[in-house]
Amino acid sequence: MSNKNFKQENVGCYLLETDNAQPYKPGTKPELRPVWDKDLCARCALCYIYCPDAAISRQEDGYFDIDINKCKGCGICHRECWFGAISMQEVN
Amino acid sequence: MDKFNLYAAQMLSFNEHFADKGHNACKGCGIALSARQVYKALENICQDIEKAEWQIPWQQEETVGSKSDNSKLSLLTIKKESGDTLQICFDNECSDKKIDNSDLIKRQPAIAAASGCNYAATASPSHPFDLIDKIRSAYKSAGSAFVQILCPCPVVWDFDTENTVRLARMAVEARVFPLYEISAGYYRISAQENNPRTVNDYLSRQGRFSGWKKKKIEALQEKVNNFYDSLIEKSNKGL
Repeated sequence: MSNKNFKQENVGCYLLETDNAQPYKPGTKPELRPVWDKDLCARCALCYIYCPDAAISRQEDGYFDIDINKCKGCGICHRECWFGAISMQEVN
Repeated sequence: MDKFNLYAAQMLSFNEHFADKGHNACKGCGIALSARQVYKALENICQDIEKAEWQIPWQQEETVGSKSDNSKLSLLTIKKESGDTLQICFDNECSDKKIDNSDLIKRQPAIAAASGCNYAATASPSHPFDLIDKIRSAYKSAGSAFVQILCPCPVVWDFDTENTVRLARMAVEARVFPLYEISAGYYRISAQENNPRTVNDYLSRQGRFSGWKKKKIEALQEKVNNFYDSLIEKSNKGL
């Protein structure tokens, strides 16, 4: 899948089936990812409701974390966090 | 957003119905964000939300009652239990033709209400709980319903991806996209902006308006003010 170029895609990159972003593994590309500071986080779930990729999920302790395979690094959660608990960093 | 709304997201369920294995939209996509919030609003009410008439490659359809015939917008049609339809328009203002003054002012809900919709509203993903309330009341209302959602597009509007929600909020704050609903003919403004931003403040953050001259922006400001005044008048009259 990773060797596929745009000529082999459908016209307009139109997708014929759902759930097909996973083979591309968006988290492995060199972009910044959100990292939570648990001291500042108030667990208000704003980052959860503003994530367009449904990448943020609630952990068992009530704090939030990302699924690295879904996050594209848009930075909306970093911008919208009221408490400044989210910073964008390079994650290996 | 006030202090009580800040924690309202805790009341939502944390199950994911929308694209639980990821989707292929651009990063910071406004349509994906609002579609996810719509799915979140309907997940416990509408049993067959997955059978709604679209799949994640969003269908491009023409809007009903749109002023301009050329504009193509994503439209989600959901069948209610009563047999009526709920139509949700995801408006990213990316029509084929050149963007003009009158495209920024949204009269589609008024047109929908005039053409027989019992419930019509505008919503913005920057006010998620307002959006969820509106989608739920649109689904529960008798008769057909129409909701228009403003979806910022980082590619065409030309801004940084992290500002998607911020620009949607600024459109509400500058009164360019006022949040209102028309329920059974009665107008109600759901987010009143008493100290609005200037339109120039909203337009200057986007690359797509870089060619606009001062005169054009002032004309738009006047149009926006007139439209908001007419909305206030209608909501005060109880019309």
